[in-house]
Amino acid sequence: MDSAFGQLTVLGSSLVLLCGLTLLWRRGSAAHIGAFAAQSVALAATAGLIAVVTGSRELWVVAVILLGLKGILMPILLKRMDRRFGGPRELEPYVNTATSLVIGGLLVVLAYIVTWPILDVSRLPTRAGMPLAMGLIFVSLFVIISRKKALTQVIGFLALENGIALLAMLGTYGIPFIVEVGVFLDALMGFLVMQIVIYRIQETFESIDVEQLNRLSQ
Amino acid sequence: MRLTYLLLVGAPLVAALVAALVRPYLRGVGVAGALLSTLSLAAALRLAGQVLAGATPTWGPSDMMRVDALSVLLAVCVSFVAALAAWLGPGLGRDEHYTPAQARRFRIFSSLFAFTMLIAVTANNVAIMWVAVEATTIASALLIPLHVSKASVEASWKYILIGSVGIALAFVGTVLGYFDYVHLAGERESALNWTSLMAAAPSMHPRVMALAFVFIVIGYGTKAGLAPMHTWLPDAHAEAPAPLSAMMSGVLLAVALYAIIRWKVVVDLAVGSALPDRLLLVLGLASLAVAALSLVGQRQYKRLLAYSSIEHTGLMCVGLGLGPLGAFAALLHLVNHAVAKGMMFLLSGRILDRYHTTEMGEVSGLLRAMPVTGGLFAAGMLALAGLPPFGIFFSKLSLVRAGFATGHPWLMALVLVLLLAAVVAMLAQINRMLYGAPPAGVRVGESNRWGLVPLVLCAALLVAFGLGGFGAFQTLLDRAVEIVSR
Amino acid sequence: MPLPTGYTVAIAQTALALLLAPGLVGLIRWLKARLQNRRGAPVWQPYLELRKLFAKEVVVSSNASWLFRVAPFVVFASTVAVAFLIPVLAVPSPFDPVGDLLVVVYLLLLGTFFLALAGLDPGSAFGGMGSSREMTVAALSEPTVALAIFALALGAGSTNLGQIVARTMADPAAAVSPGYLLAFGALFVVTLAENGRLPVDNPATHLELTMIHEAMILEYSGRYLALIEWAAWLKVLLFFSLLGNLFVPWGVATVLTPSALGWALATLLAKLVVLAVVLAVFETRVAKLRLFRVPELLAVSFVLAVLAITVSFLVR
Repeated sequence: MDSAFGQLTVLGSSLVLLCGLTLLWRRGSAAHIGAFAAQSVALAATAGLIAVVTGSRELWVVAVILLGLKGILMPILLKRMDRRFGGPRELEPYVNTATSLVIGGLLVVLAYIVTWPILDVSRLPTRAGMPLAMGLIFVSLFVIISRKKALTQVIGFLALENGIALLAMLGTYGIPFIVEVGVFLDALMGFLVMQIVIYRIQETFESIDVEQLNRLSQ
Repeated sequence: MRLTYLLLVGAPLVAALVAALVRPYLRGVGVAGALLSTLSLAAALRLAGQVLAGATPTWGPSDMMRVDALSVLLAVCVSFVAALAAWLGPGLGRDEHYTPAQARRFRIFSSLFAFTMLIAVTANNVAIMWVAVEATTIASALLIPLHVSKASVEASWKYILIGSVGIALAFVGTVLGYFDYVHLAGERESALNWTSLMAAAPSMHPRVMALAFVFIVIGYGTKAGLAPMHTWLPDAHAEAPAPLSAMMSGVLLAVALYAIIRWKVVVDLAVGSALPDRLLLVLGLASLAVAALSLVGQRQYKRLLAYSSIEHTGLMCVGLGLGPLGAFAALLHLVNHAVAKGMMFLLSGRILDRYHTTEMGEVSGLLRAMPVTGGLFAAGMLALAGLPPFGIFFSKLSLVRAGFATGHPWLMALVLVLLLAAVVAMLAQINRMLYGAPPAGVRVGESNRWGLVPLVLCAALLVAFGLGGFGAFQTLLDRAVEIVSR
Repeated sequence: MPLPTGYTVAIAQTALALLLAPGLVGLIRWLKARLQNRRGAPVWQPYLELRKLFAKEVVVSSNASWLFRVAPFVVFASTVAVAFLIPVLAVPSPFDPVGDLLVVVYLLLLGTFFLALAGLDPGSAFGGMGSSREMTVAALSEPTVALAIFALALGAGSTNLGQIVARTMADPAAAVSPGYLLAFGALFVVTLAENGRLPVDNPATHLELTMIHEAMILEYSGRYLALIEWAAWLKVLLFFSLLGNLFVPWGVATVLTPSALGWALATLLAKLVVLAVVLAVFETRVAKLRLFRVPELLAVSFVLAVLAITVSFLVR
């Protein structure tokens, strides 16, 4: 990508993806929440950058909401949840860290292969970052299925949403505003409901280790 | 027409508001909710009449909402099952196993659930449809642990996590579709309307749309209970209270399939129907296989019904991949399944209330303890198994014919074998449950007789559909199939 | 083509590297001491160590074989060979046809391999332990070296190190591209791992359970030890030159004139000092990782390198 704009957006996307990979690397809940907060800030910065260059007011609002909601509010709520029923540090995940990281790298390569047809279609200068967004989506999916703590799974899900938002931003400079609002509301509601369910899990199981959720197995 | 539509979606919303505002819970709230749900059903039927007369009304800024034959078919199903759940749900009768607080929660969220499903099937804007389907997950997830227990909490966690992940993937597909449209036409406001997508479909980039469709099917397929994303379904549908299970199994799976159908029509135009058909066939067959194998040796009747839902959804998916005749079979199956599964879950609720156990081995003498319930349960089992004179028999027959017509004889043979396994597994258990003597401590004789009336109505409907159905229904079905197989 | 001058410069470059290496390590040690509020040994202390070691008697374990005596020479020779191939001062080198990325990696690995064998040879427990740990680290870090530089090679269109440097000098904007930054991150972590610096291995430790490099060379003495230490220090300098000259190539001589070479020398010294400061500060801040965490860190650098390749591929 020759243009500075393209380079910078790819840089922002790389940062977002690296924060996602940090979820695979570090083990403590505090590190995960910090990585998610950093990721949301990087995402908001990328949105702001695109908003500046394209002059889209809607994207500014999106950037601000991203920063406020996912960069500040949700990490606070997550930290509060962690303090209430944190329990021990992340228990040994299903896949060990080094293997997880290698798989994460391979998933990024896979994402690149998958988004090859999209790169052919798009003529926007931001298209170089789209495989990174898709890579984040795949990596977040992997985080959700390979981690054992319910809190980490929620953070993985939130990272997945970040990846999708990044994909939309890089591919089409955002989606229609009303849809964006609907998506944010859904995300917020979903997060709150997940909080409530985790609270219930803690109450009935006295731990948020997902391994304990194995009664229904037939 | 606008008023009718507002009644259709507004009634459940008002019911939810009423239930939320009235504290403490009063029986009148439940009655109001039930009446409003009937109103919604009436509005749906009226809309159906208008659509049959040739109208496809649209509402909202940039035509966000639109009702055509397919939408109204599903709207009728949704409002029917929602009405069933409202009339037979907690908070109405005297014979109660739920506290007022639980009844209130049920009224609020089940009405919201119905509202979101109705929005999803009448949305023209695929993004609004997406938002509504996500909202259904949120509304129903809080209701699953109505009775808090380790099992129900586990079920609701799996449901919300897997469901949300699936929905997120469906959103990726939506974004990719939007991306392709925007790079063709550039326009923004109505870009996500299904009608706009249909118009632009022939000139869309095949590979991008194919990729989008894969995400759509995996995403919405998670909500529909297609294998291998079905793992949340048996737990969620078994642990949820009976009226909620009725809604989830009966119509939520159908709404998710509706979303897939809407996208399939667009992708068929953009990519050709080879890839989408093959994808749906594979997933449908996988779901059938998983369900058939899991039904064998199933010990709890609610889980049995849940796996049966997976089986039927798989069948519908297979039908969708077999061209117009298969689409007809799938839609007919959808309607019949909604009625049958709704009835069966509500009946299972009655059985659970009486016998206090979900194990099939511990339920016996059903015909003696609750004759009408037992009889209806048996009829429902026969219906789900696909035996005549029930409607499902005919939809299965049409499916097999469609399979042979499109040149998949071996596939149909496999489907028939799996169906046979499923049927045998289901019917084998029913005998033990129906006959013999009821265990000690179980009261004999029906309670809450009025509650049986809607269920008898359901059974009658199933037979009616099987014996040829109503003319208007046939026409509506034909119109819907036309939309699907353009 | 000034052929004799080319070879002269190459030999002079290698000699310079050999001369500077102990000074570089001395500087790092001195900086760390100062940061830790100690006086520290003077910067030229490693030179005095070398002189001492060359004068001392060699003591060889009776269990050792010919490998033990040969290994220090192999290690030294391979590292010196790498010094010929890396663009330390000048870019057009007569060894360019051979100066391939993969050759460099193989030579480094050759040295590591022989050192590990030498650790095993005398049959001491510490040696074996150090060797096995070293091979774990090497197995994970060697591919990363190749991948990280390969990411840069993709942009340059060739795995020849000289050409990579030339390409970056021609296109300055590429130096801040995400691919480059990611590759730099990966290569920095690998530098720490390959040279036995914190947080992978503490070069100053003599606690048996935490040694990696030190454990392998525990049996060596006299001139053998001198050669091995010198080779290790040379490796540090070479990695620093790689980091400096591949990512910030301005200053590297493209023509073999005295002024260009003088300027190249000055910039090289500057880059080495900067990197020494960075390393000293980093080592003072960071604690040594527990051994089973080291593969995780190396996996991170591996993924960074893979990402660098993916992103660079797109840029193309």
